This record gives sequence, structure tokens and C-alpha cells, in this order.
Amino acid sequence: MVVNLINERDRNLARALVEENGFSFEEDYDLLVGKFEDGELVATAARSHNVFKMICIRQSHRGGGCLGALVTALINSCAYSDIRNFFIFTTLENRGAFEHLNFFPLVSHGNICLLEYGQGLLSYLQQHRELRLAGSNGAVVVNCNPFTLGHRYLIETAAAQVDHLYIFVVREDRSLFPFDVRMALVRAGTADLDNVSVLDTSDYAVSQVTFPGYFLKQDDDRLQLQMEIDLLLFARKIAPFFGITRRFIGTEPYCRTTRSYSDTMPRILGPEGIQTIQLERKLSADTPISAFRVRKALKNENYEALRKLVPATTLEFLRSAEGRKLLTASKNYRRRH
Amino acid sequence: MEIVRKAQAGTMQSSDLMVFLEPAPQLRLEIDSTVKKQFEHLIRKQAESVLQRFSITSGVIRISDRGALDYAIAARLETGLLRACADQRTSS
Repeated sequence: MVVNLINERDRNLARALVEENGFSFEEDYDLLVGKFEDGELVATAARSHNVFKMICIRQSHRGGGCLGALVTALINSCAYSDIRNFFIFTTLENRGAFEHLNFFPLVSHGNICLLEYGQGLLSYLQQHRELRLAGSNGAVVVNCNPFTLGHRYLIETAAAQVDHLYIFVVREDRSLFPFDVRMALVRAGTADLDNVSVLDTSDYAVSQVTFPGYFLKQDDDRLQLQMEIDLLLFARKIAPFFGITRRFIGTEPYCRTTRSYSDTMPRILGPEGIQTIQLERKLSADTPISAFRVRKALKNENYEALRKLVPATTLEFLRSAEGRKLLTASKNYRRRH
Repeated sequence: MEIVRKAQAGTMQSSDLMVFLEPAPQLRLEIDSTVKKQFEHLIRKQAESVLQRFSITSGVIRISDRGALDYAIAARLETGLLRACADQRTSS
């Protein structure tokens, strides 16, 4: 029987098993489970939101029902949540074992493979199929926390260079401005452009699955791998569906992680037939406009500065009752994006 | 009967299946299976006959199958339906 590992002794047993298998024990899980036999921990697995990790089975217990039991326990732990699809990063060598549990490969990169349980990507694409348009299309992937004149400039310039521009708004709700607000402000701020579509990225671009390092600080090697997988997934699964051949980004003067993502982009997207086009950031008072600057001005309640950084649609929201609630939250906001 | 809440049943062990159900305006049956190529039509047929027996006309039903036999498919789906539908004493 698979049980939850809660106390320190059990956690240490799991840690030992994970480390014996050559992995590092990551503390950022929501649930840790294991299977005991004669008092010995023979298998362990963890889940961090919708990502399964640290699945280790003692050599002597492989090939039986252990893996199925662990995966069942992890899936069942989400029975009362809104999580429908699960992800796992594994090596090519272990990919087959997960494919036998109905995990489907989303993207492979070197020896690493990202698989998904549930038809999440497929239903995400099907949901947006009416947005598909023929032609040479472009894309931007933006967080817009919140939508600024800089975003507007990037989108307007990009839209003028392609038949149709897809604006993917980061779905992950880890920003000061909630997803619904960011989405609404992007829609409002681009409503006058007739060749753009606004859609969310779901789990499939700059998400907690594909690029957790965007939200939480992580070491450089891991960050690099995440960015490459994120970009390959975009290039191989999302871009072909929408006929996207160009991805537009702004220059990044502030954030090292975003800059490194931008630097990686042409190297990964290029061989997949997607051109990366980087545009100089729009300036205000000789300084690049950024959402960070907007949040700072908001925090200081400097509406004169805000007026020069955001379009009228965003400003209107910031001054609304709902926007003023976020003002309080902004005072304590410390994240990078 | 009508699917009124999210529910699931089954396991991911070999020769078993998991069934996930949730309310939706239309009826949709999605099937993943390790033997999808060979047996999708039979899994679908079996699932549809259970849905018909329970007069289910709406909801999303996702099946993740690992080569279960007919009666296992019926049993898991029935259990899932009893959990997902209203006014059932067996609901959990």
C-alpha cells in the first residue's frame, strides 16, 4: 500500500532512496508518498502541484506494480483539486515505463523528456482552433504585470510585420496582477488592432511546469535546461498549430533570467524554423519602459509617472476600485516579474 | 442521471483503468489507452453502453486505460458515475 510520508523519519528514508538513485531530494513538493515492505521503504514519489517528481523504486521491486501504485496515489491526491493534467520529466531510458501509464511525450531534449498525462495539450489547442489563420504569423509571450506602453509598442510593431499576431499571456498566477486582470488589460490595450488574437499559455509556455525558474530562483544549469525545453515545446507543438514563424521579444535591460531566455531563444528556435526578432524597448524619460517601473510608480502612488508608462486602458483600471486594492498589495510585492 | 460533480475511480495498475468525470454542457468521451490503436472502438462501445444505461447525456468522461477487460471498464465507470451523479448514497 502506498502511504503519505509525513514524519521526519519517513522523509529521511525517502531522501536516502532518492539520493541512492542519483537524484537530489527537492523539498518543494506538495505531497510525498512511499511504499514500505517489511519496514523497509522500497519506493517513493512526490508531486509538486501538477508535476510528478523523485519517483524512485528499489531495484529489487522494479517491473511489478509499484510504479502504477505510486502514480495512482499521486493522481488520486488531486481528485478534489482543479488539476487535470500531470507532467513528468524523465530520461529517455525511463520514458517507456511512463508511456505504459498513458503519459505522452511532449518534447525531448538530449536525454531529457517531458511527458504529460491527460490530453491537456491537445484540448488546449482544440479550444483555440478557431483562432487558426493561414499566412505568415508571429507570436509574443508576455506576462504583462501589468500591460504597459512598452508591451503596446512591441505588439503594435510586431503586428505590422506579420499577417496575424498571437499574444500569449502567461497563465501562471504568480504575479501582482492576477491572470484575469492581466488578460483583460491586454485585450483592452490591443482592442484596436485587427490582426491580433489574445490567448493564454496554459501549462505550455513560461509555466510552473516548463519554466519554474522564471518564478523562483534556481541554479543556472537547471534554468538553462528549462528555458530550452520551454522553447522547444513552443517551437514543436504550439507554433506549427498556429502557423507561427516569428517570435518577437523586447530587449531586456533589467532581469537576468529574462535576458538569458532571450539569448537562448534564437539558438533553440532557429533550427526549428522560427525566427527570433528582438525589438529595442520603448523609452520614457530616456529609460526603458518596464512593468517593474510601473509597479514601482504604483507603489509610490505616482500617477503622473504612471500616465507616461501605461496606456489609458491600464491607467483607468489602476484608478478603479479593483485597481486600488492592488495598490495595497503592491506595497509588499517583492517578486521580479 | 446527471453528472453534477467532479469524480474519479480506478487505478493505473496494469489491466485496470482510471475514469475521470466532470460536469459539462455536452457529452464527451475521451479515451487514452496503452492499447488504443487496437481497442479504442471496443472501449468506447463498452463505455457508451454504460452511459446509456445510466441515461447520461452530458459531461466529460475521460478514460485512461491500461488494457482492462470489459467488465473492469463497466465497473470502474459505474463507480465513477455513482460518485459524480446527484442523490446517490454511494457518492463520496
